[in-house]
Amino acid sequence: MSWICRDWTPADADEWTREDWITIVISPLVYVLLMVGTGLSLFLIPAGYITLAAGVVLTGLMHWIIDPKLKVISGEYEKKQRDYLEQLEKQARWEGNNG
Amino acid sequence: MVPFGFLDWLWVVLYLLIMVGAGVLFYRLGKRSEADFFLAGRGLPWWLPAASVYATHTATDTPMWMSGVVYKHGLAGIWYSFFAAWCAISAFVTTRIFRRSLAYTQAEWNTIRFHGLGAELLRGWMSGWQVFMSMFMLGWVGIAMGKVCEYAFGWPTWVGLILFSTLCAVYVMASGYWGVIMADFLQGVIAFAVILIVSLWGVFAAGGPTAIVNRLAAMGESWRLDPFAFTGWFSGDFPIAWFLTMLFIAVLGGFGMGTNIDWYVEAQRIQSSRTVRDASYSIWWGTALVLTRNSLWAAAILGFYVMFPNIPEAKEYEMAWFRVGFDYLPVGMVGFFFAGLIAIHISTIASVLNLGAMYFTRDLYLHYWNRAASEEKLVTIGRVATVILLIGSFFYGLMMEEITSWLIFALWIMAAGVWLPNILQVVWWRFNAWGYLVSWIANLGLSWLVVWVLPYFGVLPELPDYQQFWLLMVLGALIYLPVTLATRAEPMDHLVHYYVMSRPIGWWGPVRREAARRGLLAHVKVEA
Repeated sequence: MSWICRDWTPADADEWTREDWITIVISPLVYVLLMVGTGLSLFLIPAGYITLAAGVVLTGLMHWIIDPKLKVISGEYEKKQRDYLEQLEKQARWEGNNG
Repeated sequence: MVPFGFLDWLWVVLYLLIMVGAGVLFYRLGKRSEADFFLAGRGLPWWLPAASVYATHTATDTPMWMSGVVYKHGLAGIWYSFFAAWCAISAFVTTRIFRRSLAYTQAEWNTIRFHGLGAELLRGWMSGWQVFMSMFMLGWVGIAMGKVCEYAFGWPTWVGLILFSTLCAVYVMASGYWGVIMADFLQGVIAFAVILIVSLWGVFAAGGPTAIVNRLAAMGESWRLDPFAFTGWFSGDFPIAWFLTMLFIAVLGGFGMGTNIDWYVEAQRIQSSRTVRDASYSIWWGTALVLTRNSLWAAAILGFYVMFPNIPEAKEYEMAWFRVGFDYLPVGMVGFFFAGLIAIHISTIASVLNLGAMYFTRDLYLHYWNRAASEEKLVTIGRVATVILLIGSFFYGLMMEEITSWLIFALWIMAAGVWLPNILQVVWWRFNAWGYLVSWIANLGLSWLVVWVLPYFGVLPELPDYQQFWLLMVLGALIYLPVTLATRAEPMDHLVHYYVMSRPIGWWGPVRREAARRGLLAHVKVEA
């Protein structure tokens, strides 16, 4: 499925891309399916099982889509974190330029 | 009065010893630094803050709230709990943006996103407001525990309020966020086990799943099993317009920061995660568990309904899930249930105590009072702030009688008029500190007017909740949008720094182009 990128460079991963938007659409849908599916399944209603199963499958799909990108974003950002933390502390203590 | 045997008290005592023990165990870690006392050193794997998200949002008032809406509206009542779904989008959008800012608190983030006097006013306002709101939340969660203890043991409500919050404050003061997060993990496991056992017990006490379905059919109330059983487009207790408004608020709210009062607690979990990815998963999975838990509660409450239909008083049917536990579990298990309730209660109290103390210490004391404070001093101030919040919460708690109406009003104060500004501050580069500050002040005044004052004097009819939301959103926008456009944009240097650091989503074109022009986005071509 080359339509979904799973091999990211740090620079590309920093952009908001199709993979983010697909995740943004799927994620609330998964919550609906898990919540409603669990509720109905507890009353042994067949539609509940189907809904719950759809929620589980979409959860897997969502992670398959977004996880490689999140890994690259995280790895790249952690390299810069120490500098940013120092700036933050200076700002909190009004040291240097408070902007 | 609920009969308690030796085994019941043993469960309770063991649980309390474990919780206070967590404070002692993590005392050394908590006192190392401010970052340890409030963020556990920013090094947690996703499943720890996820458990904390779940545990914190499983409070003593939550099953009352769920009991009330499910008893009244049937399975469709679970949509009232869908407000938590703001995390669906937030986990992959604002969580990422906020984690990259590294701000301890939302108030601190204000000074990273905005600049100058407006930003500082916002930081002061936001931190003061959050200290107040923390006391308020501690009060309403605390008094819910008071009511549970009154029901179970006949104690005056103030006893349950003060006793358990004080015990909780012991380990929060000792070990800070380290104790909160580790205890939350344990409390999350206990709470989920208790909710699962008691809810299934409730279903079987009513005869089992099939019997509930059949009895509802015999009562002519099968609609209670339909999660989409609304009362019309605009009419009745639960119209589709209200449902769609809730979906709108919850789901799109994920593009903002602070669109739900829970954001401020989650923000601490986000920053305590060791990476951006851990932060995203902690928020997403913690909330998935919250929503699944609500369905477990709903099943037990429907079981309660077929056993006790047509209870007219909200105060009585709001206790449905507690009655399932106290009235139907055998002696020996009731103590386990009560220990679970303490876990549910304490996990929320601990989180909010530490959160309020963080705003007090980081944003008020350090930033505005003593900028040269040592790490040791900051940890001490964090402990003092915990005590102040605890005492304040007792006063608020004793003032609250009707939990649901207070909860709805608190949600309005926090959500309605500032819902859109909370999104605009993330997605629109031109939105500035003055517009945001004005939106908060306007919302405070407008929500009192629309919800309480104008209906009292007959100027405005008492509007349904969803109409109040839209009215407050429109009225607020009429004030803050002109203010935003009439005042200057934040300085471009400041915006570029924020953009490169946080990479926000939305309409950031001019800032992005300037960042590219300065060579800060190497892979982006500079437009001629």
